[in-house]
Amino acid sequence: MSKMIQPRLTQLFRFVRCSYADGVAELAYAFDDGEELVERIRFPHAPAIPAGHAAAFDAALKLLHLIAGVSYYKAGVPPKIEVASGPLDDATAELLDQLYLHGLAEFAYRNGLDLRGRITFPRGAAAQPPAPAAGLPKRTLVPIGGGKDSLVAVEAIKSIGGEATAVWVGNSALIAACAERTGLPTLNIQRELAPGLFELNRLGAWNGHIPVTAVNSAILAVAAILYGYDSIAFANERSASAATLEYEGQQVNHQWSKGYAFEQLLGNWLHTHVASDLDYCSLLRPYSELAITRAFAKLMPYFDAFSSCNRNFKLLGPKPADRWCGQCPKCHFVFLALAPFLPKPRLLSIFGRNLLDDENQASGFDALLEYQDHKPFECVGEGAEARAAMYALSQRPEWQEDALIERFRSEILPQLDASQLALEPWLEPSAEHHVPTRLQPALATIG
Amino acid sequence: MKFGGTSVATLPRWQNILELVASRRAEGARVLVVVSALTGITDALKQLCTHGDKGKRIEAAKAIAQRHYDLLDHMQLAVPDTLGARLSELATLAENGSAVLGELAWAAAIQAHGELLSSALGAAFLSHSGLPTQWLDARDCLAAIALPNQNERTRLLSSMVDSRPDPVLAARLATLGEVFITQGFIARESQGRTVLLGRGGSDTSASYFGALLKAQRVEIWTDVAGMFTANPRQVPGARLLQRLDYEEAQEIASTGAKVLHPRCLSPLREPRVPLLIKDTNRPELDGTVIGPEVRAHAPSVKAISARKGITLVSMESVGMWQQVGFLADVFAHFKQHGLSVDLIGSAETNVTVSLDPTENLLDSDAIAALASDLAKVCRVKVIAPCAAITLVGRGMRSLLHTLSGVLAEFGQLRVHMISQSSNNLNLTFVVDEEVVDTLLPHLHDLLISAGALRTDDSELFGPSWQTLYGSGEAPSAATAWWRESQRQRLLELAAEATPRYVYHLPTVRQQARELNTLAAVDRLHYAVKANTHPAILRALVAEGFAFECVSPGELRAVSAIVPEATPLLFTPNFAPREDYVFALGTRAAVTLDSLYPIEHWGELFRGREIVLRVDLGRGLGHHEKVRTGGSGSKFGLPLDQLAIFLQLAETHGVIVRGLHAHLGSGVLDAGHWGEVYAQLASLAERIGSVTFLNIGGGLGVPSHPGEARLDIAELDRVLREVKAAYPQYQLWMEPGRYLVADAGVLLARVTQQKGKSAFRYLGIDTGMNSLIRPALYDAWHEIVNLSRLDEPATALYQVVGPICESGDVLGTDRRLPEAQEGDVMLIAQAGAYGKVMSSHYNLRDEADEIVIE
Repeated sequence: MSKMIQPRLTQLFRFVRCSYADGVAELAYAFDDGEELVERIRFPHAPAIPAGHAAAFDAALKLLHLIAGVSYYKAGVPPKIEVASGPLDDATAELLDQLYLHGLAEFAYRNGLDLRGRITFPRGAAAQPPAPAAGLPKRTLVPIGGGKDSLVAVEAIKSIGGEATAVWVGNSALIAACAERTGLPTLNIQRELAPGLFELNRLGAWNGHIPVTAVNSAILAVAAILYGYDSIAFANERSASAATLEYEGQQVNHQWSKGYAFEQLLGNWLHTHVASDLDYCSLLRPYSELAITRAFAKLMPYFDAFSSCNRNFKLLGPKPADRWCGQCPKCHFVFLALAPFLPKPRLLSIFGRNLLDDENQASGFDALLEYQDHKPFECVGEGAEARAAMYALSQRPEWQEDALIERFRSEILPQLDASQLALEPWLEPSAEHHVPTRLQPALATIG
Repeated sequence: MKFGGTSVATLPRWQNILELVASRRAEGARVLVVVSALTGITDALKQLCTHGDKGKRIEAAKAIAQRHYDLLDHMQLAVPDTLGARLSELATLAENGSAVLGELAWAAAIQAHGELLSSALGAAFLSHSGLPTQWLDARDCLAAIALPNQNERTRLLSSMVDSRPDPVLAARLATLGEVFITQGFIARESQGRTVLLGRGGSDTSASYFGALLKAQRVEIWTDVAGMFTANPRQVPGARLLQRLDYEEAQEIASTGAKVLHPRCLSPLREPRVPLLIKDTNRPELDGTVIGPEVRAHAPSVKAISARKGITLVSMESVGMWQQVGFLADVFAHFKQHGLSVDLIGSAETNVTVSLDPTENLLDSDAIAALASDLAKVCRVKVIAPCAAITLVGRGMRSLLHTLSGVLAEFGQLRVHMISQSSNNLNLTFVVDEEVVDTLLPHLHDLLISAGALRTDDSELFGPSWQTLYGSGEAPSAATAWWRESQRQRLLELAAEATPRYVYHLPTVRQQARELNTLAAVDRLHYAVKANTHPAILRALVAEGFAFECVSPGELRAVSAIVPEATPLLFTPNFAPREDYVFALGTRAAVTLDSLYPIEHWGELFRGREIVLRVDLGRGLGHHEKVRTGGSGSKFGLPLDQLAIFLQLAETHGVIVRGLHAHLGSGVLDAGHWGEVYAQLASLAERIGSVTFLNIGGGLGVPSHPGEARLDIAELDRVLREVKAAYPQYQLWMEPGRYLVADAGVLLARVTQQKGKSAFRYLGIDTGMNSLIRPALYDAWHEIVNLSRLDEPATALYQVVGPICESGDVLGTDRRLPEAQEGDVMLIAQAGAYGKVMSSHYNLRDEADEIVIE
């Protein structure tokens, strides 16, 4: 970078330009009059943009430019946002205002910032007429992450004979292995962050969690038009909508862009701005984590391939310790949530150890139970779900004597209202979802 | 001679069989060849049996026929009549389905065809190649016996055979010819139906034939030279076992070794027919001979094995005490839920049993249902996943006294159960499964160094797996510098004075250059605490090293020697405030490893860039006292305090520029640094200001002869892999011992000797005052009598020093030449943590230091 920038003192964040050619989208951003930060997204074996889909493609690409900017904007959080191509229509500006505010809420909390009133995308452009149908082929992009949720979604679509492609963004040997296991065609899209971002970090940029699911969603919207898919089916569950904590009157949700509010916002926006027949949904929305783990417990072929742990360093390999660190909230939660639904020896063979018989893990599980602590900033179920699972185990002779179950029974359970601890209500789906008619039969196979 | 599926699947492998059989013929033996089906054919036949549809079955039979036609084609042979007849039989069976014979008998008849076909094909090939070979139907020789507890399935699909010697059969064969080929896996029962022998069936067939014919020996030809002292995938240094008795071999096969199915040994025991395991591709290797017990060897542990996936059920109750029938009731529940108990351990109020990882255990409600039933009579605890580590060797009890070091290792683990059977062949420990992969190679080393696994007996133990099959060149131990080129010089130096340390700078340079080949590493620091001798510091400056210090004293010493531009790193632990004040006044990068300094002396660091040493929560290393990770160690900031640290850093305007972790010393597994590196990088990603990662040192230096060296090329590969994922971070390391250990020796002279019952003590003129590592870490240093290097090592010595401490022992049970007063003794690998840790204890004079340029 030729000119030294103090990221935290910048005044203006600029969406400079975006373009697409030969399978590569270029997204350019800048702070003040600094150098361009150019992100590249590579779509492998990209066909030519189908005739008649140019407008839809451009709209999707523009949204991707606007959403992916969140990775850069957060480096400086300047007070003003400028879009070089001109102001946005109200619906678009609203989507982005919401996304940047809520999606960066945890980032703001961690950095002691208050973003309310600070994020204003330029608006005022006239709304365009609603986008027409693009006649997209009836097949689904299913993003997979190597964890259990997306595998449940994949199997649900397979069970209704739906045509689908397993897609993921970035390099991950774990995801590649899981994708391979699904037996579906695969699509691996590459995202290259602007190198300048690392430089900004060195210069003291703000850093923290960004709503990465929103970025990936926007990438997949572009992919859907490019390759021809009528639906994008994520695997975000019900509890993703719950706030992690409240901070100075603002709800902070670690996984806001996996929540129902964002799903509806983006789904409706794609219908009106990109193609009326492009559906964006989460197939697991009506279900609790526990309902999903129960569904996953039936998918034995994945047991030695998946991992939900995002701490581990190898994340691939034949040994459980390669895929599960056994220390992080994800490991704790997935272990606890699967336990009621799997024979104990099978569960322990997946993780390679018994986390619930390890006293050192007490505080980790306390956090899940929201006992003496708040919910950890990870994509894990609600405290009540964790308590229900723990209660179920505490009633089972093969678990009762394990150190943390014993502790739960003697120390925590007496403080809880046992009538609130049943597992069964968690296994009931709620009515709330955004799943298109074509995929609704898949929804029913999960519960 | 028995050959498995891959050995009979291609023309070249059949040519190989031809040669081997011909060579046995040349020795005058008559040969019976037992073959498996071609690879994949048994599975294809099983698959065929599952098709309900006739058309699909006929298709499948055709595909199987085609495999054999293809191979015949390769052999340029016409389809022999015997094979044609078998194929049409198979086609008929496939077409008819199971209706006539019944499901199981039909399946057995179909599956038997894999071996029937391969043997018919083999007979044609061998005969055509000039080795007249009779095809023999194994079903005419092996008669299945009915056992009381068999059901129809086991009777037909996993049968047993009467293996009493059959002189009639032997006589009949004698009239028929010299070379025979027959089928593994199949036999015939009393009603004349074809039956299968189940898992390991072909090896077992070979044993049955060996027993029936009272053969000279049974040879199992496979893809490995025999049984090893451990699973070579877990312990590459595992040694080939050249000689075992039946019971030991069966125990090893039952507790882990896959090369031989345990059931194939029992038929041979009574007729005392030896079994030889040989490698088809390397017939020149000796292999493993299994035969009757021979009493010409010192008792030794023969093997260590691990079985994983074990579940323990621990039952606790005061009710059981002296109560008749309690255990019978308890075990009835296990039977009821279809769970078979393996090991049992019991105390007055507790019974713990182990269960093997069966399908029933893993994927049914069995364990939950069992626990519910048991909970009515006792407290139940289900403990998993566990692993059973078994030491096997005849006369295990007489070896117990040698196992103290091994047992001490178990002392640091959760051992759930210990079992020793009355046959005196094994000793089993049940531990948490997660520790096994690292524990096993370590235990194997410990057994060798404890003298419990007597690898010095070349009768019993062959080469290591690494040497036989390891990738690339087996690392031949380079001759140590002191053994040849510098020996005379050392003897002269010792004649001047002892004790004294001698450092060989070319070795330091060589080690430094080797580390400089690590392309992924951006900066190497020499951890000077290992050895602060100025000549060594200067040599490493010349090799481009930076320097890591842990105290102001070290900083001063290094600064006095190295040029201004050489980077320094200060990595203290529990240092007082003034140490940081001092270090901040130098050019050294300062590492903090706890909250305290930034919490209480935060302003000291304002505006400064620091390195943060974190504790990744686990430790590694060759001894507890050298592990520097995990809650039990005083080093590093625990990860749960990271957020607070960063907040305090922010408050005081301190920039965290680097992250550092160091888990321990003497680590020989290259993958370890890759893990530390990747883990630090993923932490660094959340910090932003970080530009470099210091993954510490701890590069192991093997001490025992034959122990594998750290694979630097592999380390480079691992580091590069992580670097590709995190190119934004510079990579630092701080090796110490690796650079200097081999370069230094301690010279001493023999003072006196003493005999005490079986023990012989060899006294030398220095001990723990000069070299404390053996006492402190149980470190093993090679010790040689430099004056008598070429004399036969006939004495077994305890090498001790003159310090008034029982722990003043430099080496135990050392095989050395008979020594004389005044002999020069050399203690190797003393270049690191030798002189720097020495003391005046007992007010004995310190060893001086000599440098060889």
